[in-house]
Amino acid sequence: MVVFTCKDDFESMMTCIYDAWSARLGHSNIRLQTEPIEMPELFCQYCYVEADSEKTQKVIRSIQKKISMEAYKFIYTAAMSCDTDKLDKIYRFVVTGFSAGSRVTSMHGIPAVSSVFELNRRITNEAHHFKEFIRFSRLETQVLYSVIEPQNNVLTLIAPYFSDRMPSENWMVLDRNRNLAAVHPADQNYFLTSLSQKELSFIEGTKDCQDPYVSLWKTFFFFFSVEARTNYRCQRNFLPLKFRKNMTEFQP
Amino acid sequence: MKQLSSFTLEEKLQILSDAAKYDVACTSSGVDRRGKSGSLGNSCAAGICHSFAADGRCISLLKVLLSNECAYDCKYCLNRRSNDKPRTAFTPEELCSLTIEFYKRNYIEGLFLSSGVIKNPTYTMELMYQTLFLLRNKYKFRGYIHAKAVPGASPDIIELTGYLADRMSVNIELPTREGLHSLAPGKSHSAILKPMTQIQHKIADYRLSIGKSAFMERHFGNQYLAGNIFSQHNLHDLNEKNPPYLSSPETEKEFLHGISPAKAYFAETTPVSSSTPSAPLRSNGAPRPFVPAGQSTQMIIGATAENDFELLKVTQAMYQNFDLKRVFFSAYIPLNEDSALPAPDTPPPLLREHRLYQADWLLRYYGFHAEELLSPDRPNFNLLLDPKCDWALRHLELFPIEINRACYQDLLKVPGIGNKSAYRIIQARKSQKLDFPDLKRIGVVLKRAQYFITCSGKMLYRTPIEEDFITRQLTGEDRKTAWELEHPQTYRQLSLFDDHFLTASPTIEDTRKSLSGQL
Ligand code: SF4
Repeated sequence: MVVFTCKDDFESMMTCIYDAWSARLGHSNIRLQTEPIEMPELFCQYCYVEADSEKTQKVIRSIQKKISMEAYKFIYTAAMSCDTDKLDKIYRFVVTGFSAGSRVTSMHGIPAVSSVFELNRRITNEAHHFKEFIRFSRLETQVLYSVIEPQNNVLTLIAPYFSDRMPSENWMVLDRNRNLAAVHPADQNYFLTSLSQKELSFIEGTKDCQDPYVSLWKTFFFFFSVEARTNYRCQRNFLPLKFRKNMTEFQP
Repeated sequence: MKQLSSFTLEEKLQILSDAAKYDVACTSSGVDRRGKSGSLGNSCAAGICHSFAADGRCISLLKVLLSNECAYDCKYCLNRRSNDKPRTAFTPEELCSLTIEFYKRNYIEGLFLSSGVIKNPTYTMELMYQTLFLLRNKYKFRGYIHAKAVPGASPDIIELTGYLADRMSVNIELPTREGLHSLAPGKSHSAILKPMTQIQHKIADYRLSIGKSAFMERHFGNQYLAGNIFSQHNLHDLNEKNPPYLSSPETEKEFLHGISPAKAYFAETTPVSSSTPSAPLRSNGAPRPFVPAGQSTQMIIGATAENDFELLKVTQAMYQNFDLKRVFFSAYIPLNEDSALPAPDTPPPLLREHRLYQADWLLRYYGFHAEELLSPDRPNFNLLLDPKCDWALRHLELFPIEINRACYQDLLKVPGIGNKSAYRIIQARKSQKLDFPDLKRIGVVLKRAQYFITCSGKMLYRTPIEEDFITRQLTGEDRKTAWELEHPQTYRQLSLFDDHFLTASPTIEDTRKSLSGQL
């Protein structure tokens, strides 16, 4: 068994698919996996693949042409998953897609398809939660700044939404689990950048602690609830505790 | 009492959000609008909940009153004139900065603006209009706005407001004339229905001018449900000579207990939909949207003696005759002491509210009519059984239904089968004969459905199709639900969908807010 490994970013994954495919070892004799590899297996041969933009473009073009745009979106979303087997699942989906064509996205009965759908479902759900529960705070520079700690790499799935919502504001969303940020300068496209610990603490240090709207929001949040209907369990079901850590209204 | 001007913004927000929270509608759904460079905000038709309050209700909009001053004295209301309370009002600018700043921080989807009546209805609406005008024009706000129309305000100011709002609502408050008269002496149904009719006509104008049908979109499943409550619309659509509202005097009399709705308005004004639509144009030549997310209304449950049948008939009439997008129910919570009101320690009738929301679902997604669910002899819902089970038990002659043959409409009548599973059954049986294990995979709740269906002629177990027997089996399950609803401190999350008979989820908000009917 040959295991093709690569870094956990989209370009590396696409390159990895390219190399694995071109190696012509037979689909059942190979596996694809993103690093880190937690437990290397004794009888496997590991083969590390470095990102290559030309190969990436080729893979993307073939997926869009030979399968469909819809399939490409599925693959992109699945690639943002935290699932350690995602790359292999995507590879199997691509293999099936190349032979089945655009029909593949409705072939739910096939495991190669349904497992990629399942990845999509989970990521889309999480991304949706963040559209709802993200909170921006103001920095002294008036930039709107938000911190999230998502399981999946949802930044590129939510940034377009916020670009549409606030096209003419300066804002950034930081994924603390990955030290990755989506930065949106007013009236421009957003870009991704990784942040060093130093940069991070610098930004954190410039939070505007005087922002009056923080306490105004807490006031509103508190008075919104009807006492005679108090129901914490129901609240917890809709708004799981894990999100509250970074939500303004739940800060002391 | 503090002077008006001496309140800080935070104190005002406290007072004016506290005073607004008993209005139950807080959805941001019904309209898709992309953002635009130079502006702030967009809108998403499915609606977005930004937080959940301690009562489990979704927070989607900045729901506040413009002022809690009020010239009226509705007995059930915290803001009534006779209450000795601190009174205050936001300035339009204050409301704008709250909305904009909250929006930028992703706290809210937009503004829900209501108000007590300052001086008179028209003056109040003018202040609300000013706020909306500033928001849309000075602050270039493209997020969601829900505005109350104050009954009695001049039609001009209501119309102007409608071109800036996404949704408008006029609350019916109490469904009968007697109820309204005893608890809201300053209000009358004709005054409430007038702005509602006006808004309905302007919405129809706008929709026709952009080439849509005059009526709001409904869940797609309705097209397969013969005789659903919205189907008259389609009929009238095809045959434009008839006014699309009430036809026979009998139905009209029955309807709304003697208040004559659309027709009275027609007498005074020219019907709009028959002439060429005259919606004003934007600078680029496109018609200006008018209340694109539609109208809603709200009724108080349990403050007066109406039964569920009356409430549900009014609800149905609201959909049919005023083309409302939503009707909300609000379990009465005692806030004032008054001999005309229930005692101050009366618990809010949450279970009853829940049953009404379930029934509302049956009207909107399952092709039922109010008259099928209740009758003058049986005017209230069974608190132990959901309305669909209850209906099925009274119509055992229609069961069992054969899964491999029944049409969509009949499948939907089975307790335990919702829109989604009915649809999947129809899809799946094209390629294979379905048996009970298949149904389980499809998502049918066999625990309920088993008494009412056959697969290729066989029932799951040899159970008798006998009312008392099935009732005993089904109430055990529902009794727990009922108890939990009556004891809100302990109940688990309970949604319409947990009741296993309703699975339509047209919008995220609908699903996520329908816990025990707390929409
Ligand atoms: S009109 Fe009636 S319900 Fe509305 S604020 Fe005034 S007193 Fe309250």
